[in-house]
Amino acid sequence: MTQQLSLYEPKISEVMKNVNKVMVGKEEVTLLSMVALLAKGHVLLEDVPGVGKTMLVRAIAKSLDCEFKRIQFTPDLLPSDVTGVSIYNPKEMAFEFRPGPILGNVVLADEINRTSPKTQSALLEGMEESSITVEGSPVPLKEPFFVMATQNPIEYEGTYPLPEAQLDRFLLKLNMGYPTAQEEREMLSRTSGDHPLTKIRAVMTKDELLDIQNSVKEVYVDDTIRHYIVDVVTATRDHDGVYLGVSPRGSIALMRAAKAFAFIQDRDYVIPDDIKYLAPFVMPHRIILTSEAKFEGYTAERITEEILEQIAIPVQRNRHE
Amino acid sequence: MRGENQQQFYYQLILYICGFLLFWEWMRPLEKVTDTENITVFIIFAAFSFFISFLQVSWWLSMPLKLLGLVFILDGLFLYERLFSKEWFLIIYQQFAYNIDLILNQQWGDMTAFFRSFLFLVLLWLMSYLLYFWFVIAKRIFLFVLMTFFVITIMDTFTEYNGQWAIVRTFIIAMIALGVSSFSREMEKEGISFGGMKRLHRWILPMAAIVLFSTAVGFASPKPGPQWADPVPYIESAVGNSGGNGPGGGSIQKIGYGENDSELGGAFMRDDTPVFRVAAKKERYWRVESKNHYTGKGWEDTLEEDIRVANGGDLGIRTFTDEVETEEQYSLVNFNDDVQLNKLVYPYGAAEVVSYPEQFQFLVHQPTGEVETQVNQKSRQIPGYRMQIDVPSYEYDQLREAGENDPREIRDEYLQLPDDLPGRVENLTEQIIKDEDNRYDRVKEVENYFSTSGFEYNTEDVAVPGESDDYVDQFLFETQQGYCDNFSTSMVVMLRSVGIPARWVKGFTGGELEDTDIELEDGDTYNLYQVTNNNAHSWVEVHFPGIGWVPFEPTKGFSNPTDFYVDTDDLDSSSNEDNSEETDTPDTESPNQQQEIEEDFDSDESGAAASEEGGNFWNYIGLTAALAGIAIVLYVTRFRWMSAFLKRRYKQSEDPAAYQNAYHYLLKVLDNKGLKRKPNQTLREYANDVDRHFQTNDMKVLTHHYERMLYRNEQQSDQWRKVTELWENLINKALS
Repeated sequence: MTQQLSLYEPKISEVMKNVNKVMVGKEEVTLLSMVALLAKGHVLLEDVPGVGKTMLVRAIAKSLDCEFKRIQFTPDLLPSDVTGVSIYNPKEMAFEFRPGPILGNVVLADEINRTSPKTQSALLEGMEESSITVEGSPVPLKEPFFVMATQNPIEYEGTYPLPEAQLDRFLLKLNMGYPTAQEEREMLSRTSGDHPLTKIRAVMTKDELLDIQNSVKEVYVDDTIRHYIVDVVTATRDHDGVYLGVSPRGSIALMRAAKAFAFIQDRDYVIPDDIKYLAPFVMPHRIILTSEAKFEGYTAERITEEILEQIAIPVQRNRHE
Repeated sequence: MRGENQQQFYYQLILYICGFLLFWEWMRPLEKVTDTENITVFIIFAAFSFFISFLQVSWWLSMPLKLLGLVFILDGLFLYERLFSKEWFLIIYQQFAYNIDLILNQQWGDMTAFFRSFLFLVLLWLMSYLLYFWFVIAKRIFLFVLMTFFVITIMDTFTEYNGQWAIVRTFIIAMIALGVSSFSREMEKEGISFGGMKRLHRWILPMAAIVLFSTAVGFASPKPGPQWADPVPYIESAVGNSGGNGPGGGSIQKIGYGENDSELGGAFMRDDTPVFRVAAKKERYWRVESKNHYTGKGWEDTLEEDIRVANGGDLGIRTFTDEVETEEQYSLVNFNDDVQLNKLVYPYGAAEVVSYPEQFQFLVHQPTGEVETQVNQKSRQIPGYRMQIDVPSYEYDQLREAGENDPREIRDEYLQLPDDLPGRVENLTEQIIKDEDNRYDRVKEVENYFSTSGFEYNTEDVAVPGESDDYVDQFLFETQQGYCDNFSTSMVVMLRSVGIPARWVKGFTGGELEDTDIELEDGDTYNLYQVTNNNAHSWVEVHFPGIGWVPFEPTKGFSNPTDFYVDTDDLDSSSNEDNSEETDTPDTESPNQQQEIEEDFDSDESGAAASEEGGNFWNYIGLTAALAGIAIVLYVTRFRWMSAFLKRRYKQSEDPAAYQNAYHYLLKVLDNKGLKRKPNQTLREYANDVDRHFQTNDMKVLTHHYERMLYRNEQQSDQWRKVTELWENLINKALS
């Protein structure tokens, strides 16, 4: 395990370096995207258009030597536009499956909340089950498979907000945020010539990525940490302002993310800092507030923060065990 | 290098000797203000312990050495048995068992001299460690010096100890110690090697000069009188003399007249504090009150509050009817000044208090015969009084023929027994009296039973009845040893169990004959008796219809001073054998016998019990204050001495748990120094804070290793060894 760590750690940081060549001041988003990628999870990016969501995904895809696909969701998009469609080939006298964009390695699902729930679910099924159903028969998705979906918070009207059960499918929900003035200036200078995206090259093969994904599973999670995760998660269920707390799937997500995060940090065991760092990205989109709490100005992020303040960090081995 | 070490050794030696001398000053007053004897032995032991501590040999060598010293001292002082013989171990065991029992019962004052000496030696032992740490390791001397001054001044102010020279000595020692220690600390801090200090006199001479000069100035300078009045008398008067002697105290711990008899049993202690002095024709029992209600554990007074104020000196507390023949006599009672009994003591037949201080009123509790002395409705101790007594003489045949027809109220009150009294008490009594046909002879049989059936008078090894035990049952069938309370209570209960009304009486025995043929104002001659707390006693009264209450004495070794006689008119008709024996009784007082018994009382001398000086109370206060001072200092400096102790322990340990303990101890120390870890703070976050505070990286590294152990469940202890130094550094930084 330790050997694998030292083997892969430079690769991972190279990918991140690559991505950060394209993105300015988005190290954290890059890092978290890597977490989701290595944990075999998916990312929901919530932000206004034009802050570089697509650029981020493309940079990741390019660094990984992976097939990149993009789906621009519109209200009239059909499920088959996502999954692919069988077309009759008169030459061959047979139906031929034309794979849709979901059959890529890195998929950007842009403005996912602008399409109908039917089409959304075609994507989300794929995310959860690693296969899709085309005309009744299952089609396995490629591996690795990594979806980065974006949704546009200000265009709430005329959109189909994702139902809670589907939000749960995303390992992390991130915000890009506007760059600072300095970052934006830097961005301008970088893009004045050739776009940096064209300059970067793949630094990790598909196979290496799959290996890493498998290694991440081996990261050690101690009982004390598991206790801590459960403490944090169950606290959301007992919170007064919460209508629906984080599900057990959320606990699993938190642990998986923590493993990947530890791996990226070149560590083969999870520490509470990992949990504390990741919880604000893993938990809020899994929490539904009561209307009273919303009225009082609570947000799921604030509740997560509160809970992290309250739950004591385990700092010693339980002697009863 | 070698020379440097050697010199450092000398500095440490000087410091340590100073520490010992200062500690000696603590022990000096002990001989004066407590009843500690052989103080030299203790000082030698202290010196011995200090010496061993200074050698810093391993614990497995130093412990047995000190223990051996301790054992030899205890053996030399207290034990006459051959060292390490079987009896010797038995005695040791008994001493421990007895004293631990006392400790559990919180009877601190009753611990034996052996055990107190043992504890004291252990304390000395511990002090040798502590002072070694303070003086040699931590080089923190000032606090101890300050405390020494405090103790000496407290001792000087509040006790008879004269600290005039102690202060001077302490001052000189303290100056030397402080000088040497700050010098060696400076040298260490500046990294100057001791070897380089060629000219010792360069600093020794100035230091000696300063010490001598300041001592001389202090000694010669004029000293103003005390700025405050002596606080002792004031405090004493404010508190009231609560260092009190005896009466009214708990009935268990110390002999003396006590109010509360609801829980009898347990050992008691000799206390020969005088209570009162009487002038009487002959030795009498001095009655105070009777009790009617037996609970299974002791006695209570449940009779109705039939209290009336005596009409002048006429008490109306006669316990017998007019059928009994009496002889008019007088007695004079004088209480000791500091007694707080607030009751009259009177012999049987007390008729009237003929002269007494006018302001006193007598409150008579008719059923029990208790007479409270009051001034303006407040209980006060009467200094003395003269009584007219109609001394009763009971006639044997009259008693034998009294019959069984007790009045109803007598039967109601004086046949009470607890429901759970074991049946064997009654069976035994039935067995004892089965051959007798009248009440008097039956009572006599029961009374004699105690002196003929292997009962033992004992004040030391007396059981306290447990939760489910009956006091009487336990005495009669299990322990068979005890003192007056055991005998008298048992007799009352036994009589009641067979339907004879009886009650339990408290008071004093006749006391010690001090003088004979004293002529008093009334022209008559009297004997003078001294009654002390040791004379507190309990006995039995049995009711005889038409005669009243007749006292009996079941306690082994005591004899009944009451007069009985045979009516010569009836001699022919009554059985001779009995009379011949009984007729001896009237005038047989056996002061000698009683004397002996009293000397059998617990021979253990306790400083608290034996001392009559009111100052003793203040000794305790001073001692307590000193101990509290030590405790506070130990508490405040706990992290320092604990760290030194733990360092050694953790270094030797291979266990990952030791790592955890060490790490958490560090957290505690840091917490104590204001670097608190919030519960929601991860160790890394905290380590960052700590490192920022100390400008190091140590905590991060240490935490990193701890994390591996904690969150990765790593068991390798070599990790711990690597970072021990970091841990030590951090502890030292936190404490500096």
